[in-house]
Amino acid sequence: MKLIWLIVVIVYGILLIQHTDGQRNRKESGQSSSLNERVQQLIEMSNKRSLMRFNGNKFRDFVKATPRNYSVVVMFTALAPQRQCSICRHAHDEFHILANSFRYAHMTSSRLFFAMVDFDEGSDIFQMMRLNTAPVFIHFPPKGKPKAADTLDIQRVGFSADAIGKWISERTDVAIRIFRPPNYSGTMACILLIVLVATFFYVRRNNLDFMYNKTGWGLMALLFCFTMVSGQMWNHIRGPPFVHKTASGGVAYIHGSSQGQFVLETYIVFFLNAAVTLGMILITEGAANRGDVKKRRILVILGLGLFVVFFSLILSIFRGKAHGYPYSFLFK
Amino acid sequence: MGMGGFGDPRPKRSHNADKHGLFSNASGWKSLITFTVLALAWISGFASRLFAVIRFESIIHEFDPWFNYRSTAYMVQHGFYNFLNWFDERAWYPLGRIVGGTVYPGLMITSGSIHYILHSLNIPVNIRDICVFLAPIFSGLTAISTYLLTKEIWSSGAGLFAACFIAIVPGYISRSVAGSYDNEGIAIFALQITYFLWVRSVKTGSIFWACLTALSYFYMVSAWGGYVFIINLIPLHVFVLLLMGRYSSRLFTSYTTFYIMGLIMSMQIPFVGFQPIRTSEHMAASGVFALMMAVSFLKYVQTILTKAEMRYFYMVAVVGAGSVVFFTVVLLTYAGVIAPWSGRFYSLWDTGYAKIHIPIIASVSEHQPTTWFSFFFDLHILVTTFPVGLWYCIKSINDERVFIVLYAVSAVYFAGVMVRLMLTLTPVVCVLSGIAFSHLLGLYLKEEESPSSQDSDSEDDGSSDKSSRNLYDKAGKLRRMRHEQMKESDGLGSNVRGIVVMAMLMMLMMFAVHCTWVTGNAYSSPSIVLASYGQDGSRQILDDFREAYYWLSQNTHSDARVMSWWDYGYQIAGMANRTTLVDNNTWNNSHIALVGKAMSSNESEAYKIMTSLDVDYVLVIFGGVIGYSGDDINKFLWMVRIAEGEHPKDIRESDYFTERGEFRVDSEGTPTLLNCLMYKLSYYRFGEFRMDYRSTPGFDRTRNVVIGNKNFDLTYLEEAYTTEHWLVRIYRVKKPDEFNRPRIPLSERKIKRSKIFITKKTNKRRKGTIKNKPTVVKGRKPTKTA
Repeated sequence: MKLIWLIVVIVYGILLIQHTDGQRNRKESGQSSSLNERVQQLIEMSNKRSLMRFNGNKFRDFVKATPRNYSVVVMFTALAPQRQCSICRHAHDEFHILANSFRYAHMTSSRLFFAMVDFDEGSDIFQMMRLNTAPVFIHFPPKGKPKAADTLDIQRVGFSADAIGKWISERTDVAIRIFRPPNYSGTMACILLIVLVATFFYVRRNNLDFMYNKTGWGLMALLFCFTMVSGQMWNHIRGPPFVHKTASGGVAYIHGSSQGQFVLETYIVFFLNAAVTLGMILITEGAANRGDVKKRRILVILGLGLFVVFFSLILSIFRGKAHGYPYSFLFK
Repeated sequence: MGMGGFGDPRPKRSHNADKHGLFSNASGWKSLITFTVLALAWISGFASRLFAVIRFESIIHEFDPWFNYRSTAYMVQHGFYNFLNWFDERAWYPLGRIVGGTVYPGLMITSGSIHYILHSLNIPVNIRDICVFLAPIFSGLTAISTYLLTKEIWSSGAGLFAACFIAIVPGYISRSVAGSYDNEGIAIFALQITYFLWVRSVKTGSIFWACLTALSYFYMVSAWGGYVFIINLIPLHVFVLLLMGRYSSRLFTSYTTFYIMGLIMSMQIPFVGFQPIRTSEHMAASGVFALMMAVSFLKYVQTILTKAEMRYFYMVAVVGAGSVVFFTVVLLTYAGVIAPWSGRFYSLWDTGYAKIHIPIIASVSEHQPTTWFSFFFDLHILVTTFPVGLWYCIKSINDERVFIVLYAVSAVYFAGVMVRLMLTLTPVVCVLSGIAFSHLLGLYLKEEESPSSQDSDSEDDGSSDKSSRNLYDKAGKLRRMRHEQMKESDGLGSNVRGIVVMAMLMMLMMFAVHCTWVTGNAYSSPSIVLASYGQDGSRQILDDFREAYYWLSQNTHSDARVMSWWDYGYQIAGMANRTTLVDNNTWNNSHIALVGKAMSSNESEAYKIMTSLDVDYVLVIFGGVIGYSGDDINKFLWMVRIAEGEHPKDIRESDYFTERGEFRVDSEGTPTLLNCLMYKLSYYRFGEFRMDYRSTPGFDRTRNVVIGNKNFDLTYLEEAYTTEHWLVRIYRVKKPDEFNRPRIPLSERKIKRSKIFITKKTNKRRKGTIKNKPTVVKGRKPTKTA
């Protein structure tokens, strides 16, 4: 009997020990093996979607959890339409291109992951990270907390995929070659245009007189010249603002220095140039035509007015931009 | 005419024209007036380019002209063939540069031959003076060739206007002031004369003129890389003429002659070599040549076949020929026989290309797009009147006007993309504006010859361009009759006419005044000698650059190697005659990046680079004392960027910015910046410097801050020379045995000390503990441990 009791006690004890052992084991695995698990999960998730969407829990699980051997680049953004963040959409597109390029090149890499947190899905994270703007790009290094340089300086470098890629390669030594999905819309538009023009010519093939219309060609050439001379190419390359709101609340239409210009300003100059040219053509036509003298005289006076007044206007705008320019005509 | 005599040509001209008004219809007078006007245009163009010479002295300007001057002097000294074979070991140390094969020699040959001719006539002129005054002299030739071109296109009256415009227009003066000895100075002349000869040969269809066109094209190729503009514009002209159905045997003769001769001759320039048959830039010309052949063949076949056959044959031939040419070009490009577009040309079409792919092109301010302000600044009223000329050219189109229209449209596009190409737009703007003014004034002054004689005095006061009028109506008597017939219906009234003419004259006068002002204020600075103006208007000359270069030439060894940023390479070579590492011919980006890396690393890292490159002296430009903004600290970010492009591991642009993304040299600047070589060399001993007793020491006047790192010493370099206004600072790199060497940690020492120093302190006197010291327990065997 004693023996039986002993056995029972031993068995019970063993069971008890095993039970607690099991509990301990499970606890341990919940902490240590989860690093591997997490990496596995992350790889699976990012293979499904190269740019993972995190909510609060996932963010804490994958980004905030301490033992990590991978970097995470997180974009904090607000994509919901009611947030009215137009930059966020562009930033999202660029970031998506980058994430895809990385996934495409390194299928099973576990060094770097891309994620995003939307304000409407994880506003608690925004509070935790003390963020009140969007978009923000933060790199979470494998060890330690993000430093100041781990936040992308959007003001300075912008958020094009190239800029973000360069920043990431600085922070993590992972160089990413960016594959942009080829944009066929330009080619398609071009082909469409050619087809349209070709059909137009085909339809009008018996009556191509319009091709010999000198006025049309002349107008086109003149428009092109005015476009170039008024600095539209500069606008195209530099992308200046339309107008500038000054500190006092007013609106500046003309850029103060000779180095820059606003879009509206170039339109004004376009118009003024065209008016002066028109004036000079009217003056010439007034003398060259044969016809009613009164009409021609009015034409000439009108042309002269256009020519003188609008040229003086250009000159005064020019004078405002070139500091110290001494000459003006009609207007100061 | 507030600005002195430079605006004078036009009034003088009208004076001459007045004379002509008295003696009408004499062709002798006509040529005399033409001659006088052109001579005056030449003189005024020459005179208005002399601001820099009068204000400073007869000196070569800026950067590139110094190289041109140096190679010209070399050619004059050693002869042409030695020049072609010249290997310059004083540039791009240790690589060297094959100068003869990497320059357009036209400029040097031009001034060299002038020098030769003058010396054979026993007129001893220094080659430097020829170089200084070459561009102003050629501006007169440009005016004449512009006159000829405009005369071919419209009338000689318009030609005189165009010649006067181009003589003084700032868009051209900007590249041709005295002392700016550069390719563009002679290239615009070559451009205009080539276009004139081309138009003449299209008009006449003679082989003679086509050969002359090819010859002047050859001159252009030898002078400037912009010849590509010609070799694309002329084929474009031919192509458009073909499209317009204006094929003629004249066109065939002139184009084929020009193309073949031009091709062969252009390949004689060593720098161009086989490019005309191998690069995409030149493919348009050969494509049009093939097309021309095909069209002429068709024209021939047309004479044999019937109409129905012809129609079918025509379609097949056109489609076949077009696709054959196209696919050949594509295939050859694909096979690598034809090089694709070079980056600089590609950036003209894809305007975003340079910004992303070629930072060294994007960094040059000449390659920026053009604002409307620069257009107006360089062309003034012409910018609004040249469309008028364009309009009338299109309205009464013919073969040669097609050319000028294409020229205008393409040049205005290129000028919009790149500030530098304003230079190619300027001549055509002058031509078209000349046409516009001449056409207008011709109409207004023509009818003023009405018989009523009482008006004549007032007319003569205002008439600016009677010369042009006289060219419109050669048959004076006939016209008067016609005029009298129409006297009733016609007649705007002399008042209206007078007002219009006066307004035009007013505008032209403003143009002349504007040109003089712009030339004097914006385009006449040699940038080697600087001038500063005191509050009382007194002028102080800052001659620091030449001071430093002269010091280098006198006090350093003849083989000394000077490291500086590439901007100053040509000047060091030209004035100090010392070896440089990099210069303005930026052909080797990685070498430039190495210098940039040395400048942006700390002293010890930089010393490694400098010893590996055998640098003896380092030269930096520092404007902090006088407030000169073009100094090396302001250019420093480009050095960092270019260095980062080649050495991304060592140099990072973000290290030089504060956390708020600012570039600051004061105490808030980043430590990397405050300890890099460029910072130290610029601000060495500047912390002790004060302008006057009130100002704080170390106050940088260019950036308006007190510098952040004031007290530091140089370990590896020593100050050799600093110029009067601290503008140029030269440092000598110490030899390894000279500086007090930094302590090398024991582990890295190659030679270890044999004796070990033993302290005399015993255990008892000094107490210390050793962590994890094994304790010895006496009298017991140590237990075995696993």
